[in-house]
Amino acid sequence: MTDLLSPFFSHIQDLVFENTVEPLIHLLQLDNWLEIAFDGVEFFLFGILEVLALYLVLRPLEALRPAEKWSSREGVGTDVIYTLLHRLGVVPLLFFIAIQPLADSIDAMLRFNGFIPFTLEGLFPFLINRPIATFIAYLIVLDFAAYWQHRLQHRLEWWWALHALHHSQQRMSLWTDDRNHLIDDVLGASWFAGIALVIGVPPSQFLLLALLTRFLQSLAHANIKLSFGQWGDCLLVSPHFHRVHHAIDLGHQGALQGCNFAVLFPIWDILFNSARFIPYEGPTGIFDQRNGRDYGHSFWGQQKRGVQRLLQVLTHSLQK
Amino acid sequence: MRVLLVRTILLGIVCWIGLAQAEVAIVLNSGDGTVSLVDKTTYQEIKKIYVGREPHHLMSLPDNSALMVANSVSNDLVFLDPISGQIKSRLSNISDPYQLAFSADKKWFATTSLRLDRVDIYQAEGFRLEMRFSLPKTPSHLVFDPSNHFLFVTLQGSDQLAAIDLLARKVAWVIPVGKTPAGIVITPDGRNLLVGVMGEDDVAVVDWQNHRVIQKIQTGKGAHNLFSMGDGLRFLVSNRVDNTVSILNVNTMKVENTFAVPGGPDCMELSADRKELWVTSRWLRQVSVIDMQTFKLSHVVPVGRSPHGIFFASHVPR
Repeated sequence: MTDLLSPFFSHIQDLVFENTVEPLIHLLQLDNWLEIAFDGVEFFLFGILEVLALYLVLRPLEALRPAEKWSSREGVGTDVIYTLLHRLGVVPLLFFIAIQPLADSIDAMLRFNGFIPFTLEGLFPFLINRPIATFIAYLIVLDFAAYWQHRLQHRLEWWWALHALHHSQQRMSLWTDDRNHLIDDVLGASWFAGIALVIGVPPSQFLLLALLTRFLQSLAHANIKLSFGQWGDCLLVSPHFHRVHHAIDLGHQGALQGCNFAVLFPIWDILFNSARFIPYEGPTGIFDQRNGRDYGHSFWGQQKRGVQRLLQVLTHSLQK
Repeated sequence: MRVLLVRTILLGIVCWIGLAQAEVAIVLNSGDGTVSLVDKTTYQEIKKIYVGREPHHLMSLPDNSALMVANSVSNDLVFLDPISGQIKSRLSNISDPYQLAFSADKKWFATTSLRLDRVDIYQAEGFRLEMRFSLPKTPSHLVFDPSNHFLFVTLQGSDQLAAIDLLARKVAWVIPVGKTPAGIVITPDGRNLLVGVMGEDDVAVVDWQNHRVIQKIQTGKGAHNLFSMGDGLRFLVSNRVDNTVSILNVNTMKVENTFAVPGGPDCMELSADRKELWVTSRWLRQVSVIDMQTFKLSHVVPVGRSPHGIFFASHVPR
C-alpha cells in the first residue's frame, strides 16, 4: 500500500526506525520485536498522513456543505483525541500486546493438533496468484463480520451500554469514527481475532485492510451533506446513509434497535432488512439525551460513565 | 517490408530466449507476498510475481530441480524454477512454514513455525508430516547435524538452543545460548554450532556434543544471520542493527573483516566466484550488492516490502 508513496515514504520510515525505535529496542534487548516495531513505525507514519488528509479534505467539506449547522464545535475536540489515539497506533499497540499473544496461543494449540484454518484461497483456488481479488474477497468477509458485530452492539443490552458512547456524539464529525469505549474496542479486536482464527489470517494481516478502509469510515461520519446517489448509497456507506444510523430518534430504536448498521457495504443492510434509505439531516445522538442523560464530556469522563452503564446492566441482569 | 517484419519477429524471439535464460536473483518480499526477479547483469528488477502471504525463506530441493519458497501465512510451499524464477507448482497444507532445512541424507525436511512456537519434521520424500514439537519460544532458524541424528533450533523468544533427537523422536536438550538467538550454522568439521545472538551482538560457539557455549565472538550490533562463504573456513554474519556484515574465520574463531551494508542486512547470497555479495536490506526495501574486493556497496536494487530470503543459482558451494 505504501508502495504508492515509495520510495520517499520508505526512506522516511527507515530514517525514523533506524534512528529512534531500533536503537531503543536493541538497548532493551527486545530484538525479537524488530519487524513488528518496523511495521508499527509504518502504521504511525501512515496515521499522520491519514489524519492530515482527513483534515485537509473532509474539514473544508464540513465547512462548505454541513449536514447540520452547529452554533459551536464544543465536544468535537474529545473525538480528535480518540482519532489520534487510534490512528497513530496507541490503542492498536495496546490491543496487539494484549490480544495477539492469546490469539496466537489458541492458534498454536489448534495447529499443533492438526487443524489448519481454511483460507478463502483454499476454498476458491482461482484466488491464488490474484492478490487484488483476494484482498477484495477478504474485505467482503470482514465487512460482513463487522456488520454482525455492529448488530450485536445494538442488540445486546450490555454491549450497547458501551457502544452508546459512540452514538452519544451530538456533533458528529469526521473525527467521530474512533469515539469508542476502550472495552468496546477490546471486544471488537477480539471479535476480529476470532474471525482471523477461523479464516486463517493473523490479525496483523488486517492492518492493510484497516488502513485502507478507515478513511471511508471517517467520511461516513463526517458532517457533510453528501449522498452517493440512489445506487451509490446501496454500494458504499455514504455520510447520508450513516447519518440515519446516528439519528437521535432512529439510531437505537425499532425492532432491530437501529438501522443502517453496515460499515462499508450497505448490501448487508439490504439483505437483512435493516436498511433505511430516507432523507435525514437532523440531529444525531441518543433519544435519552433529550431528557438530559449525560454520557460524559472528557475522554476519561466518557470511559468512566461507560463502565458505570455496563455495571448497571450487568447488576440488573443478575438481579433478574 | 515482409523481410523487416520477419527480422523483427526473429529478433524478438532471440531476445525472449535470452531473457528466459538469463540468470536471475530471486528475492522474497515478505511484506508484499511477492518474489522479485532481478537480472544479475543489469541489477534491475525485471518482474515481480505474487506467490502467497508472507514468504520469508527459500531453499533448493536436494536435487536442485526446484527452489522452494515457504509462505508462512498461506500455509504452503511454492516451487520455482531456480534459473528463471517462474512458478512450477504449489504444495498446500504445510502449516505456517517459516525457516526450512533438509537433512544431509535427504530423508528429513523440517520447518519452524516462528509465530506459533512449533517445529514440524516431514519425510522429505512426499512431504509427509512425521514429527511435531512444541517449543518455547519463537523457534527461528534451524540446522541438521551432518550425521542426521539431531536437528538444532534457535529459540529467539526464550534465548535458548534446542536439540531434537530424530532417532528417539524427542527434544533431547535445551540450553541457554544468549539473548535473542537467530541464525545457526554448523562448522565444517561438524563439531560446533555457530549462533547469531542479536541481543548480545555476538556469535555464540556451541559445543553441541557437550551442550555448552564455549566462546562468544563479538561481531556487531544485532548479530543475526550466518552464511557460509563456501570455502570451509569462513562465514558471513549479518549485524542487522549495526548495518554491517562481518567475516568470521572458524579456524581462528576471529572476525577477519567487517564492512557496511545499509538498511538492516538480513539474508545473504554469495556469487560462485566470491566477488559479489547480495544482501537483503529489509528496512530499505532493497537488495544491497557488495563488491567483495573493495567491500563497498556497488549496486542497489529496489525490490518490495521487507525483502527477506534471497537466492541465485550460481552461488558458492553450500
